[in-house]
Amino acid sequence: MTPRRRVERLACAIGVGLLAVLVGGCGAAQQRLSLFSTDWEDDRGASIARAWELVGSTAIPASSDVVVGVGAQGDTLIGLSLANGSRWTFSHALDERPAVAGRVVVGSGGGEIFAIDAQSGAVLWKRAAPRSALLGAGDDGAVTVVTFRPARGVGSVLLAVARDGHVVREIETGRALGAPAVVAHTAFVPWAGEYVSVINLGSGDEIARVTLRSETSHAWTQGGALWFGEGSFIRFDDHIRDASRGRASTAVLPPRELPGRPRLMPRGSEPVPASASADDKARIYARPSGGDVVALEDGRWYATYFRIAMGFDAGGGGAASGGDAGKLAWVHLHGADFIGGAVGAGGIVLCDDKGKVTALDAATGGVLSEADLGAPLRACVVNVDAERLSGAPSDVKPFATQLATAVLIEDPQLVVAQKLLLRELAALGDETATKALVDLASDPRTSPDLLAEARTALANRRNGAAFMEEALARHYDFLKDVLRSPPVGPIAQALGAMKEKAAAPLLAAHLLDPADTNDDVMRAAAALAIIAGPGELPTLRQFFGMYRACADDDDIASAVVSVGQALLALDDKAGRGMVLAATEDPSTVPYARERLQAVISEQRQAQAATAPPPSDGGKATGKPK
Amino acid sequence: MGAKRAKRAHLAKRAKAGFVVLCLALGALVSEGRPRADTRHGGAKAAPASPGLPSDVAKRLRSGDDAQVKAALDDVRVAGRGGAPLVPVIVDALERGLSPTLTQAAIETLGDTEAEGASLALAWYSKHRNVAIRRAAVQALARTRGTVATTALRAALSDPDPAVRALAATGLGTLNAREAVGDLFVALDHRVAEAAASIGQICVGGECDKLAGKLGSVPFDVVTSGLDRALARPPADVADDIKVKIVARVRELGTGQANRFLRGVQSKWPKKGSPRVRQAIDQAVIATSGSPGAEEASP
Repeated sequence: MTPRRRVERLACAIGVGLLAVLVGGCGAAQQRLSLFSTDWEDDRGASIARAWELVGSTAIPASSDVVVGVGAQGDTLIGLSLANGSRWTFSHALDERPAVAGRVVVGSGGGEIFAIDAQSGAVLWKRAAPRSALLGAGDDGAVTVVTFRPARGVGSVLLAVARDGHVVREIETGRALGAPAVVAHTAFVPWAGEYVSVINLGSGDEIARVTLRSETSHAWTQGGALWFGEGSFIRFDDHIRDASRGRASTAVLPPRELPGRPRLMPRGSEPVPASASADDKARIYARPSGGDVVALEDGRWYATYFRIAMGFDAGGGGAASGGDAGKLAWVHLHGADFIGGAVGAGGIVLCDDKGKVTALDAATGGVLSEADLGAPLRACVVNVDAERLSGAPSDVKPFATQLATAVLIEDPQLVVAQKLLLRELAALGDETATKALVDLASDPRTSPDLLAEARTALANRRNGAAFMEEALARHYDFLKDVLRSPPVGPIAQALGAMKEKAAAPLLAAHLLDPADTNDDVMRAAAALAIIAGPGELPTLRQFFGMYRACADDDDIASAVVSVGQALLALDDKAGRGMVLAATEDPSTVPYARERLQAVISEQRQAQAATAPPPSDGGKATGKPK
Repeated sequence: MGAKRAKRAHLAKRAKAGFVVLCLALGALVSEGRPRADTRHGGAKAAPASPGLPSDVAKRLRSGDDAQVKAALDDVRVAGRGGAPLVPVIVDALERGLSPTLTQAAIETLGDTEAEGASLALAWYSKHRNVAIRRAAVQALARTRGTVATTALRAALSDPDPAVRALAATGLGTLNAREAVGDLFVALDHRVAEAAASIGQICVGGECDKLAGKLGSVPFDVVTSGLDRALARPPADVADDIKVKIVARVRELGTGQANRFLRGVQSKWPKKGSPRVRQAIDQAVIATSGSPGAEEASP
């Protein structure tokens, strides 16, 4: 008999509890499954229902509320208790990202696997690690189950280690295992992306299996329940028997566009590098909760994109939710890139690459608390279970201001998120949104990608005229270092649509500003055709004279036509004379001449149509024919 | 043959006109002080033809025919200041609008008349979208003078086009626009090199010293293009004390470049010029002679 077999026998004999005997690990009467076999036929939930009957009543202890940072310098773990703020450090080589399991932090590196107490940093055990990469870990307070993927080849290794460091079970398989959980000495091991096998650690037998209808590579405990998932949350409860028919208790995040294509969880069957990557900076965070029906905690889910954090409505009328699934509720702009986080009741805890830990309020995105790990980090793991995030959030700004702040910040790596936020801003009816769009479109530092969208959004605004007029008062001025003209074209379009006559003098001044683009001048002229008054006549005449024969492209020629229309509309004698003369002068650019002729023709037809009918039986009055 | 004869006759007519123009130059100058005819559309019809110009020049300017208008503008250009009576007609044409080529020709013609009455129209065109037209207008404004011209040139210092800014800076010096010294300093700080020469032309007291204070922060050649002019101005405009200060500032640089500049000033210093300044220049030349790149001191 091999030593391993002896250990297994011993474990069975001791029974580590009655449970192991009950679930049939040591010769139970139930049908035994072949461990991780793929010739298994779906038992329509029979085995997983039995597992629920056996394990479901077990009280699952809360795991540690802790932030574990991987120091940027050397292989140092820095722990911070969210419950009491105590801090610890632990130095060890790290090949992959450590995992928080229950009240234990598990890591591996330098050929060794270790477990430390998550609250104190004290070493619980260390032992030689298989030549594999750490995938994930679960812990039930007595035994820690760790999964590995061999450095070369396929398959996985599952290792169950008791608190004293001895190996309770070691299983090698050709299957791709995910991150496991442990409840009552029973391991729940996701594999092949769709199964969760339930393994009696005493016997090493697979006592149950469930087929899930959504991608699953993680099992974990949280809030006193056991969960499976990767892109969604499936609860282990009495509905699990219907999982293969897609009727398990499940919470799914509403689909919506997000910057950077973030994931809710990394694939559990792939090792996570010790250093954070772009995938850690663009992440989705959520936490399942609920009684009979599984929902998302606080009716919120969250996403980060470098140093931007966003809160979204989950739908379904959670405490903080307005009920519109996927709707952006708040934006928080941070001072450093977020590299890890976890959702708790009341909000989200995020840590950044500078080592700062920030708790944000679920409802408002305001800062609930801040803490510091004391050193820059290259990765960070956050675990929140029982801790409730509460307090009065600080720095809460109106939503439009939050969006404006995030959109206006000059940071090239944020542009993708800023484009999305810009669209959110454009959809707001708030005047603050108009001001932000004006500022964005006026700022010479705005990236070309954002500028085009900001101008389009600005043109479609129908409020905030005062902000637009304030912008129009500015002109290019080399000596005053004003080196970008305001967004005259979009503003003109918006003001024209709003029929904002007070803006006419400002727009007229831009007709004569050579620093404005031809497109801006064209759109300013188009707006003036609607809102110009007698006060603009001198400028309109001046522009018409200067460009009717000198327009160097169709934009300016079009502006000449618009100004001509304004002169005709204002019924200015001198202006009308200029326009009529221009239509007959061959030196007038053809584009403008033809269109002005058409305008005059239409005007004459309209006048003829509205003229009072002859009162003498059809004979024309006035001059004889 | 017919064409040649016509051309000869035209040239003879022009020569005759040129002679008369000289005689009338004074008269034209005097006429600038008088109120102008209304320059708005229609108001130019009353403009009298200049005695030194072909009698049909105004008619041709109003003809609407590009060739005729161009020829008429040429006639007015040849007349120089004598063309001033035609300014309202040209301004009227510009207000109604001309092709780009004729616009530029009209602007240059107005500049040649040096008539202040042209300044307003030129100010308009100093903001034209066509940069060649803007440059022409700014150059012309430096010749037509007056408050309107000064205001327009000051505004042109902020133009997006560097050449327009440079021409505006030069024009303000030409106009002796004292009120623009502050703007010219700002322009100099914004690398409008031509501002230095203009400052040198119009600075007084501490302003000239302030220009000398730019040595070290603004390229040497740029600053000295203004200092050269300031030193050459009569004592009534720039006092000897200021000139001595300027020389001292250049001398402090102690470079070969400074030495060469001072030698240039020394060589041009008038015999009847201030002996005190002369002495300061001589001493500065000697003091900087040992600098690297300096010329050997004269015995």
